Amino acid sequence: MNDSDYDPDVTIDSRDATCPGPLMDLIGKVKEAEPGTVIELRTSDSGSKSDVPEWLDEAGHDLLDTVDNGDYWSLFVRTN
Amino acid sequence: MSGYAIVLASRELSRVQAVSTIASVAAASDVPVQIFATMEGLLPFRTETVESGDFDFGPVGAKMLEADGAEMPLFYEQFAQAKGIGDIELYACEMAMDLLETDLDDYVDVFDDTLGVSGFLNRARDKQVVFV
Repeated sequence: MNDSDYDPDVTIDSRDATCPGPLMDLIGKVKEAEPGTVIELRTSDSGSKSDVPEWLDEAGHDLLDTVDNGDYWSLFVRTN
Repeated sequence: MSGYAIVLASRELSRVQAVSTIASVAAASDVPVQIFATMEGLLPFRTETVESGDFDFGPVGAKMLEADGAEMPLFYEQFAQAKGIGDIELYACEMAMDLLETDLDDYVDVFDDTLGVSGFLNRARDKQVVFV
């Protein structure tokens, strides 16, 4: 369970994957998602935690929240 | 500028992996990428090299090879994944292949075709060229 206000439509579990695995997984889902879809990306890669928001900013999607779950992070994304 | 044309002329695993990582994310982000593997840059793609793991690598490359495959996909796996998502094409240099007396069947299945210098330059005309 995540300590977040957001209830994701899609959850991507990319824990243990290194850069660029989590981002590639996210891009694949974003491309097939309807606008307004809330996606939770789970990653244990600190580089991806920093890099995914950069991609979201450039691609025009929203980072809703980042939750620290101890051994991984949950990034909540809304597609536009 | 409408994308990147990357000349890959190094056999060093870290360089090849860096190219696959950056190119894959670019292509998945709708930035077209073309890669021209030439000279020693062809060698890591040889099937026998991939199967044996006999890459030219430094300390970072060694760490990559120690990682579990599912956690750290190597360059040819990244290229294969990127091809399913974005606009990325890989070409093998005809001249280097002739020198090595090989053809595409001797390489992992990531190349779209073989290409000469003129063909590469034609495709690179509207792109930013990056030499690795």
